[in-house]
Amino acid sequence: MENEIRPPRRYKRSKLPKLVRWIFGLIVLSSFFWRLYTVIIVQNEYTPDIWVRLLISGLVIGGVYSLIAIGYTLVYGILRMINFAHGEVMMIGTFAGYFVFEATNAIRFTSSTGEITSLSNAQPFLSILLAFIVGMTVAATSGFLLEKIAYRPLRKAPRLIPLISAIGASIFLQNLAQLLFSPLVRDYKNPDLIARGQGWAITVAGARLTIPYTGVLTFSLSIILMFALYTMVRKSKLGKSMRAVAADKSTAALMGIDVNGVISQTFIISGMLAGAAGVMWGLHNGLVYYYVGFLPGIKAFTSAVLGGIGNIPGAMLGGMLLGMIESIGPTALGISYQLKDVLAFVILIIILIFRPSGILGEVLSEEKV
Amino acid sequence: MNKKLVSPSLKRGLTFGIVMIIFVLIDLDVMVATMLSKLFGANVIRGSIPDVGFMVLFLILFGMFVGWSTSSDDAKPTTKLFQALVAGLTLGVVLGLFDLILNQLIVTGTDVRKYLAALAPESIRLFLFDQGAISPLLHLGLFTVASLLGSLMKILLKSESASRFFKGVKSGYQGLQAKAQANTPNWVKKYGKFLLFLLIGLLAFFPPRIWGSYNNYVVGLVGLYVILGIGLNIIVGLSGQLMLGFAAFFAMGAYSVALLNAPLPHGIMLGFWPSLLIGILMAVVAAVLLGLPVMGMRGDYLAIVTLGFGEIIRILLKSDLLTSFTGGPRGIQDIRGPTLFGQSFSSDIDYTYIILVVMVLSIFIYKRLERSRTGRAWLAVKEDTKVAQATGVNIMTNKLLALCLGAAFAGLAGGIFAARNQFTGPNDHQLMVSMNILSILIVGGVNSIPGIILGAFTLKGLPEILREIENYRLLVFGGLLVVMMISRPEGLWPATRPNIEKDEGNKLKENGAPGEGGLND
Amino acid sequence: MKNFKGLIVVIVAVLLLSACGPAAVDTPAPAEVVDANIPTVCSADRYGCAKIEPGQTIKIGMGSPMTGGDASFGIDAEQAGKIAVADAEPLHGFSFELVAEDDQGAAEGGAAVANKFVADQTLVGVAGHLFSGATAAAMPIYEAKGIPMLSPSATNPTLTQKGSAVFNRVPFTDAAQGKAAATFIYEELGFRKIAVMHDGEDYGKGLAEIVKVEFEALGGEVVEFVGITSKEADYTPVLTTIAAKSPELIYFGGYTQDAGVLANQMKTTGLENAVFFGCDGTFGTDFLNRAGANGEGSYHATPRTPPQTPEKTAFDEAYKAAYGVGPGELSPFTWNSYDCTTALIEKVGDVAVLGADGALYIPRGALVDAVRGLNNWTGISGTYTCAPVGDCNIQGPQFHIVKNGAFVPVN
Repeated sequence: MENEIRPPRRYKRSKLPKLVRWIFGLIVLSSFFWRLYTVIIVQNEYTPDIWVRLLISGLVIGGVYSLIAIGYTLVYGILRMINFAHGEVMMIGTFAGYFVFEATNAIRFTSSTGEITSLSNAQPFLSILLAFIVGMTVAATSGFLLEKIAYRPLRKAPRLIPLISAIGASIFLQNLAQLLFSPLVRDYKNPDLIARGQGWAITVAGARLTIPYTGVLTFSLSIILMFALYTMVRKSKLGKSMRAVAADKSTAALMGIDVNGVISQTFIISGMLAGAAGVMWGLHNGLVYYYVGFLPGIKAFTSAVLGGIGNIPGAMLGGMLLGMIESIGPTALGISYQLKDVLAFVILIIILIFRPSGILGEVLSEEKV
Repeated sequence: MNKKLVSPSLKRGLTFGIVMIIFVLIDLDVMVATMLSKLFGANVIRGSIPDVGFMVLFLILFGMFVGWSTSSDDAKPTTKLFQALVAGLTLGVVLGLFDLILNQLIVTGTDVRKYLAALAPESIRLFLFDQGAISPLLHLGLFTVASLLGSLMKILLKSESASRFFKGVKSGYQGLQAKAQANTPNWVKKYGKFLLFLLIGLLAFFPPRIWGSYNNYVVGLVGLYVILGIGLNIIVGLSGQLMLGFAAFFAMGAYSVALLNAPLPHGIMLGFWPSLLIGILMAVVAAVLLGLPVMGMRGDYLAIVTLGFGEIIRILLKSDLLTSFTGGPRGIQDIRGPTLFGQSFSSDIDYTYIILVVMVLSIFIYKRLERSRTGRAWLAVKEDTKVAQATGVNIMTNKLLALCLGAAFAGLAGGIFAARNQFTGPNDHQLMVSMNILSILIVGGVNSIPGIILGAFTLKGLPEILREIENYRLLVFGGLLVVMMISRPEGLWPATRPNIEKDEGNKLKENGAPGEGGLND
Repeated sequence: MKNFKGLIVVIVAVLLLSACGPAAVDTPAPAEVVDANIPTVCSADRYGCAKIEPGQTIKIGMGSPMTGGDASFGIDAEQAGKIAVADAEPLHGFSFELVAEDDQGAAEGGAAVANKFVADQTLVGVAGHLFSGATAAAMPIYEAKGIPMLSPSATNPTLTQKGSAVFNRVPFTDAAQGKAAATFIYEELGFRKIAVMHDGEDYGKGLAEIVKVEFEALGGEVVEFVGITSKEADYTPVLTTIAAKSPELIYFGGYTQDAGVLANQMKTTGLENAVFFGCDGTFGTDFLNRAGANGEGSYHATPRTPPQTPEKTAFDEAYKAAYGVGPGELSPFTWNSYDCTTALIEKVGDVAVLGADGALYIPRGALVDAVRGLNNWTGISGTYTCAPVGDCNIQGPQFHIVKNGAFVPVN
């Protein structure tokens, strides 16, 4: 009959782009492995123990990045917000920990053995715990205030607006720290128990290596925090509320969830994680100054995207991957160490071409076009 | 009833107390006092401590502001005063406690500047009015009184007589306006736009010759950032792709002009204009290189990838690997400027002309783009990709075109920038540059030409003019971004989108359809 | 929020008003009318005179990064300059004033600051700029106006190869320091196999390249030449790859922040026995604090000067008293900045003429020549004689070794 409704003709999408992508991917992958083969096997400049050292460096650097990325991805996943000021919250945590250690180092008394020692060395566990508690608290407060002042009024605005606000907050906090504490670069006074550079001596492939205490601590801390956060988001009531808010804010509100409260708590937890990362950064890398959060913030962003937005194990994986690329990458591919960041970004782009939602995929929120 | 009044005022006093403490910790109190003294004509030498009187004045003004803002608009006068009293008292108490600590520092002679760099003894003494132990009480009294004063001012200004006064002024002004409009001869209405352009053209010609090289430099800088803003707007505003590495295209233009026009490292003297064209071309090539892989990426992924791209370009320019080609961290010096008809055309006045002309051209191109089919296609893709595709828009070429055009503008600006400074290096193309351009765009107002101009002036021109507050420039900049986003997220001069509205007669009434308009943006 | 907006309007208005205060940005140019008051030297001078009215100050400018990642250099230079100005005697009753502006270490800022300075008629000299990029952009602007520059730290060699009449600098050229370092390592220390690192920046890389070339010319072997990214925290990967080549010594061109981190991390990456050799950028208490025991036996450089003169001690104490941190902690160029400012002030005193109307006339051309003509001028950071191209420090460096947590000169 004339009025019969025919099914529409299917618009045939050309298979060409997909073909091009796969050919491109094949070329990249094969040249990548060819290069690896040439450098590692053929040229063979480095003995195996060097590779082991690089691997360990990569794990340590990756551990640092993972730690920072976990807090970052939480906010990213719940609010789909690029929190540019995350690095600055980390910086605040680093400073807080610095002051705690300055204080514990300044308190001196005569120990039972008759020598003069500081609180830091007499009670290292207490000092470290105190530093972490203070650092995490101060950073969590900063995260809460940051959200309240700079982000909450912009809850309903298009995504660009909170981004600019975040950039402004980041610049503001950096400069506030510079004006308060001067641009002087200060060093953490680690308790002697976990002095920087000290570690377990092991022998691998005939060479003596040092596995740094602070490195192991960083790595362990990031795994612990990752599991804690993951469990919290998956199992606890708060986590459920967070996921609901991430899916659809207005519906969550209709369901009786205090959206403002949940978001505040998200930022508080993210701040706590940033604070822990900051104190750990100080213990491991030693440097504390107003600009110290800038680069880690970008690395956290990269790690989070690598692993998948909102994906907490993904952030950990992304951080470890980034650390490995920076550590082993240049040497394995025979390029200059200066280009490690170029390598990292190129690999990021390639991964995103083939897995547009990150390696482990997005988790917390639905895809919003 | 009482609790509802007390609590917010208490919180406000507390908040402002902490704000003032931070001010003291970053030496901002001394700075403001210095500025006040300059306002009153004192010839101030940098770094000297101003008179105590100005610090008192600053604190009084601060207290008045606290009182003013605490008094709610619609409360009775006595309520207003009460609110201000509570706030002022809280403020005074908080600062009084702070003063006690400060006094201890002075008395024991401890120098905390190892940790808190701004607490120099002279600054502390100035804040305490040099009165030592009684300063907490002085501050308490001062802030309470000032707060009450502020509230009083509000009462006066909001009172019946005051509002009648303001209303009268306003209606008088409106009356004048109406009269003027009614009396405008017809020919002005017809040729007004043309005359305006003529006036602007004349105004643009003479001042650069008179007002000195510094103002030329600032105007030129603002102009260049307007061009950059327009370029980024095409990418971010019209086609909706979040781009955080715009400085990469800027660098392509700058380095092309630099490498082709300087004695080192290559010694090619191609001339400014040809190398500028090559610079634009290189920027477009870079855009294609970036655009192809990122075709499928969305929002935030695009953001990090473009950020990475910007960093890649910067690191490559700075790297050892490419130093023989790009000059490395040294940068490139002695870049020759443009010549016109054989004469060197590179004085600061000439550059201002060039930039102004290029800026007007860019605005013109942008306006035509916006109204064109391409422009509307971009906006359609931004709104809803699938629907746009259904109407026949090829998404890939569409987005790529936006990237290329935006990059072209950046390359243009970059080339002029490098030639004007006669030097360029990797430090000129950092991440902050991209952030700055994005900020200009958002603060000024996306898709709005007057907004971009205003944004460029506010974020680039104003800090130059306000070099007095040197150390605090970036602090103010960051805070300004946040404040602007909260109070006016649509931008300083938002774009007016054409809209179709229905009037009472239920007929569709068009209001500024695309294709018309003009200065109404 | 309405109150807030109004407040912002008020604040901006106030700031704008105060910016147009008595120390105005654009003071009018001196009149060209022939005036009996103006000393004859002014009309003969190729740049004319700067006229300081009674009640105005003589301004010395300074351009450096005061915000951003390199702010420590600018803040440090400004602080040193302020002490220099405070130490200066008033000239015919006119006092000096330091005007330090933020150029962010890049060309855009450098040109902006230079344009601002030349617009001020009472500004006669610039102790800067600090970073070579900003200096390169600023130089032509000062050249046109006749404002002499005396930079504490711009070391890019091409700056003095352009035939500028106004630009001078007091740090060693990379050529002088690099050659001296290579020779010292080869001959005095006797090493034959070294690795050369730099921080990827203009100063560090330039130095490292010279050392590499000179060392190889002497017959030594440079097993690895690699740049790091400045201001990162973990350099163990690159140090590990260098350790694979077993160098006897690592030369580093860069600043104390990275040097300290490198010295520390060398001990855990297989380079425990390698010597760390730095430059004048790595010299400072900042390095000692950061490296601690790991810094023992490392070498650094300073200008050739007796380590502690009474003037230097006095300056160190004044700096510490005024700012709460020690000189050299924020940047290695504290003493250079002091000397540049002092030298400029001194030269102004040499050429200035008091007019009959009580105003001070400073012939700019004569000042430019006077600064270029610095001869055996001794400051707290060294003795300087300016060559015709503008390099004022042709002496080689003095090397120091770190022993028991202190710097000990070795040659």
